Amino acid sequence: MRVLLIEDEHRLAENIVAALRETGLAVDHASDGEAGSHLAEQRVYDAIVLDLMLPGKSGQCVLQDLRRKKLHTPVLILTAQEGKESVVNLLNAGADDYLGKPFDLGELLARIKALIRRAKGVATPILAVSDLELNTVQQSVRRRGRSLDLSPTEYRILEYLIHRPRAVVSQQELLEHLYDFEWEHHSNVIEAHISNLRRKLNAAGSEPLIETLRHRGYRLREPAATP
Amino acid sequence: MTETISITRRLIVTVLVLELLSAISLIVVVAFHERHVQLKAFDASLFATAEMLAGAVQDAEDEADNVMLDLREVQIGKDAAFRVEDERGRLLGSNGEPPDFEVSASGAPVFRNVDVRGRAYRFLVLHRLRIVDPGKPDGGVRHPITIVYGTPVAHVWHEVLEAIRFYAIATAILLGVTAALMIWLLRKGLSPVYELAYEAERINSSDWRFDAPASAKRTVELQPLALALEAALARLQRSFEQQRRFTSDAAHELKTDVAIVKSSLQLLSMRKRTIEEYIRGLTLSLGDFTRLESTVQKMLTLARLEQRTENGSLGAVSHSCSLRDAVEDSVNQIKAFAELKVIDVQIESTVEARVPIDSRDAFLLCSNILLNAVQHSPDGSAVRITMNADEQTVWLTVKDWGEGISEQDRRHLFEPFYRGDPSRSRKSGGTGLGLSICRAVCERAGGTIEIADNTPSGVVVIVTLPAAGLGCGSGLSASLEAQKL
Repeated sequence: MRVLLIEDEHRLAENIVAALRETGLAVDHASDGEAGSHLAEQRVYDAIVLDLMLPGKSGQCVLQDLRRKKLHTPVLILTAQEGKESVVNLLNAGADDYLGKPFDLGELLARIKALIRRAKGVATPILAVSDLELNTVQQSVRRRGRSLDLSPTEYRILEYLIHRPRAVVSQQELLEHLYDFEWEHHSNVIEAHISNLRRKLNAAGSEPLIETLRHRGYRLREPAATP
Repeated sequence: MTETISITRRLIVTVLVLELLSAISLIVVVAFHERHVQLKAFDASLFATAEMLAGAVQDAEDEADNVMLDLREVQIGKDAAFRVEDERGRLLGSNGEPPDFEVSASGAPVFRNVDVRGRAYRFLVLHRLRIVDPGKPDGGVRHPITIVYGTPVAHVWHEVLEAIRFYAIATAILLGVTAALMIWLLRKGLSPVYELAYEAERINSSDWRFDAPASAKRTVELQPLALALEAALARLQRSFEQQRRFTSDAAHELKTDVAIVKSSLQLLSMRKRTIEEYIRGLTLSLGDFTRLESTVQKMLTLARLEQRTENGSLGAVSHSCSLRDAVEDSVNQIKAFAELKVIDVQIESTVEARVPIDSRDAFLLCSNILLNAVQHSPDGSAVRITMNADEQTVWLTVKDWGEGISEQDRRHLFEPFYRGDPSRSRKSGGTGLGLSICRAVCERAGGTIEIADNTPSGVVVIVTLPAAGLGCGSGLSASLEAQKL
């Protein structure tokens, strides 16, 4: 999952970026409205965290532009402004959630994750496909009741695939959603992670869960129970 | 509760009382006049009837050439009393019971007021000469006749009372009409007051707008009040807005700083970390905390400087210090930062001058101005400081050759938290309180601070301060400082 943070206060941004990365999310950071708008339009994000008071283009403008351009990425607003009125205006302008400063870092992370889940059409933090169970809060994976020891990247790949059941996910898409844009992108990195992930999943259960579609990408197999 | 006073009621009562008084005086005058007129008419009527009685005395056509009274052609009221006598006291005719009156010596007509059977009568005693056969050679027989004629005077008083009654009724109607008319006129005339009050009623803490209604501005008596209200409310609104903005900006600033400190510590406690990670995190958190502390410190400084004494003035300044010392101290302090940016900070000219500012605040003033100058100067440029003084005034100017300040920004530069950028970018590190503090220091000392364009670029900050009690004043403070040492 990849999150865009648009925040001009650099120490706050540093902390939020670090916290998001530690929970296994990829984060891009923009320190003004213009750069933020540009990134949001150029890349695919699963959620955007937007500060209201930004140099140049204000957070409100960024939000309005996004919605006008039919980008439906969930947006969480950070604000130090008082007043219910502005909150109502923001939500009406297309924001999905808001947090007043000073906020609780844990709450911010939980809200971002909830936003991502809801955008994918999932309400609970526990995702299950076939005999596989994935807890997004504990970031733990179990197959047939046995817990699996996955690396953070492997977990993120699996989580992403579970969020898009039956869909073919390309290596490029995985790269975009799993890594910060500063990272060098090598598709063979994904290949290596997928291979490890497959090995760990197969060791725990019987049938292979991840299909490879040549030149197209990967797909999580249909649940076997489904007739 | 104190009794309320109604100007309308007072005005109406005053007018009505005045009107009533004048009506009463009018009635009194009218009554006297009417009585006089009626009495005159009464007397004239007595006289006329008496003359007719005199005319009714005819030749009796007898041997003695006597006279007689022939009343056939004379109309006499039934209440009237009369008596006609000839010179020998012979009664020629009478009616009622006219009293006897002494005949006046002169023979002139005499009026007498007498009560007859309990009724007030007015009598006329008239003397006339009747000559029988005046054509005879001896000139005829002369008969002096005495006529006493009177009628009741009640009639006169009745007329007078009628007149009084007429005027009293007219007055009552006039009073009623006046009262109604005044109530209507005053209500109409006072409507601008009510409109003004209605408009003023709408003012509340969230909406200070006040436009005096046109009716109030048109009314000569209300215009000063309406305009004064408008002006006072506009001033209040400005100061209220300033306060509100300050509070909101201060809250924003503090919340952001607290958010940073909180997130730093929460990030650190998200999971178990190595000692090195903890040390780095704590160092960063301490930095964040220092920043919060500095924001609070500056807010408190500004609050202290702007605190007014009970009588509303900016507290008397009891301290004084050498501005030169403050300038030199702040130059020393900024040196390291200036060297980092390769900026040449020089004091071009200096004089020994004392200003009525606490030495701490003077240092704050100089270091804030210098810090701004150095921050906004490009690397490798210069900052120049000059000091001048005369008997009453001390000037401090700080020039830089930075990017300068737009006309728009310059107007708001001294407002708290203003950073010349709507987003209040904190990258420069300031809280936006520095210049507000500078202005507060200058104003507290009775001085000013201005920012002007420097040529070809950059700005000049000009601080004008009153000199602190030259002569004995400075000597005193100098000796005090000497004692401290």
